[in-house]
Amino acid sequence: MNKQLVLPLILFVIPTFAAETELDATRLVREAIDHWRGLSSYTELTMVIHRPDWERSMTMRAWTKGQDQTLVRVVEPKKDRGNGTLTDENSMWTFSPKVNRVIKIPSSMMGQSWMGSDFSNKDIARADDIVDQYDHTILQVEENDGVTVYDVQSIPHEDAAVVWGREVLRIRDDYVVVEHAFYDQDDELVKKLVSLEIGEMGGRTIAKRQRMIKIEEPDEWTEISVNDVVYEIELKDSLFTLSNLRNPRD
Amino acid sequence: MRTTPVLTRLAWRYLWRNHRRTIIMLSAIVIGVWAMIFMTALTRGMVDQMIKDGISVLPGHVQAHNPLFLDDPSVSNRISIGDAELSRMFDPLSFKAWASRVKVPAVITSERESRGVTLLGIDPAAERAFSFVTYDDVEGRFLESAEDNAVVIGRKLANTLDTRIGKRVVLMSQDPDNEIADRGFRVAGLFEASMPAFEEMYVFVGKKTAQKMLRIGDATTEIVFVGDDYRDVEPTYDRVRETLDGDLKVSRWYEIDTYLGTMLKVMDGFVLIWVIVIFLALSFGLVNTLVMAVFERIREIGLMLALGMKPASILGQIIIESMMLLAVGLAIGDLLAWATIQPLKEGIDISAVAEGMEMMGASSVLYPKLYLYDMLLANVVVLILGFLASLSPAWRASRYEPVEAITKVG
Repeated sequence: MNKQLVLPLILFVIPTFAAETELDATRLVREAIDHWRGLSSYTELTMVIHRPDWERSMTMRAWTKGQDQTLVRVVEPKKDRGNGTLTDENSMWTFSPKVNRVIKIPSSMMGQSWMGSDFSNKDIARADDIVDQYDHTILQVEENDGVTVYDVQSIPHEDAAVVWGREVLRIRDDYVVVEHAFYDQDDELVKKLVSLEIGEMGGRTIAKRQRMIKIEEPDEWTEISVNDVVYEIELKDSLFTLSNLRNPRD
Repeated sequence: MRTTPVLTRLAWRYLWRNHRRTIIMLSAIVIGVWAMIFMTALTRGMVDQMIKDGISVLPGHVQAHNPLFLDDPSVSNRISIGDAELSRMFDPLSFKAWASRVKVPAVITSERESRGVTLLGIDPAAERAFSFVTYDDVEGRFLESAEDNAVVIGRKLANTLDTRIGKRVVLMSQDPDNEIADRGFRVAGLFEASMPAFEEMYVFVGKKTAQKMLRIGDATTEIVFVGDDYRDVEPTYDRVRETLDGDLKVSRWYEIDTYLGTMLKVMDGFVLIWVIVIFLALSFGLVNTLVMAVFERIREIGLMLALGMKPASILGQIIIESMMLLAVGLAIGDLLAWATIQPLKEGIDISAVAEGMEMMGASSVLYPKLYLYDMLLANVVVLILGFLASLSPAWRASRYEPVEAITKVG
């Protein structure tokens, strides 16, 4: 090969290689979210909210369909039974049987905590934003006990409605998210969602227990454990309606 | 009235016969008048500042909104007249300034905090003249155009949010379909306001950027007009109303900020009441002095009556005495008040009590304002009431029976 040909070849190869890893990173994130949620799913889960002086736990049932539709309903404790949250596209409604009212969460409350946990309403309603409002790159690839773990760095677009400087997701090659870290714009770690237990459930390997930790307040965390999950089930569209949120028919 | 010069001379001499008493009374009047004028100037200055600050934030002397906007300030109640159309309507009317803007409640979020704010989508060029932010004093930079993609927030808000210039924040509001409208903005500048509350309340973004974020095309929510004087907004109001022809709700500033409007009205009444209250305290001293002066001179008055002086002249002399006393007191008091206010024109720093003042909506520097009207009011009130107060002792003096008066012992 003569020298004149090599240089253009390198110039050509490097950009395509870069483009490919970027695409890969985006695909990895997309797949991870799809894997965690499936085309449709039914989950029974327990959420534990821990604070330095108290702790409470709630059992919930959740249905998801496609990218947009989610319904969550509290089963236990008794006093919260029937509280529900419905999301459809970017909108979110809650229902509380005590006041017998469906309330649409206004934009001003999207940043507030969901059911008193360390998740915000936005975290629940707009989990998909991470795919298309960020630029993803693979930071490093690790081999761990025969499993490949990708560190994906996600930097939000300039006009994205995201306050974080960057997020780092550790995704295994079977699309299980091991850790999701949120850094502020000074590149200081603020909070992270860690998968404490990974295992087989509903025919997939998923994170069975995840904990959201605030770095500055290590005594405050929220843990979500999946008790049971069924993927790719037939769900009627009528499930994700306001009337069903108010009067459960399941 | 031939006797008036004589009476005046007599009155003047009599005043200084007992100079100690006169000086004491004089100082009471001087202090009273000084207090009336000085305190009025202080309160005037405070209210003026509040109104100036208030109007600068509203801003404008007259505003036009969608009729529903004042009750429910959301983009659903917007003004759908485009900018080109508005320019065609208002540019020929030669207001001092006018601008259309997007003003909606929003939530600003940083990594650590979120706060409710009022989002102002403005065209910086159109509002430069009357904005409460001096563009050149902004740390960093102010918005450069209506298309500017950055946000300018108050210094205090930046502290609360734990953010700074160059970092990104998220603004969240609602679009006309009640869907969430949000977007990330980079902080370009931090402004300082005379009222710390404004620094927490308002955030500035480009008008076009705000319209795009809220998905409202080229609609706005507020049109503001600045006339010549905030105390006389009627001409501006009438012209705007005529031009808009009932499409929008046009309001004067005191209808939008009723607190400020009421404040201004209350102030005018308050000045009069304040002057009268001080005078009432003063009048006891005045009447007492005059009564004393009359008692002391019963025999003298009797003598003058016996020599043929008319009772009316006696009455006149006593009144002239009191008027002279008041006039001298007023002159010195006015002068003193002017002399104390003049060096304070630059403002009195009252930052020690800034927090309380801020709750009232006043800023931490007080600029006393001396109005000719207030000074005249104080003087006229004192003279008229003083005249009335001196009537009774004077009347009494003129009614003495000469023989009885001369022979009176004591």
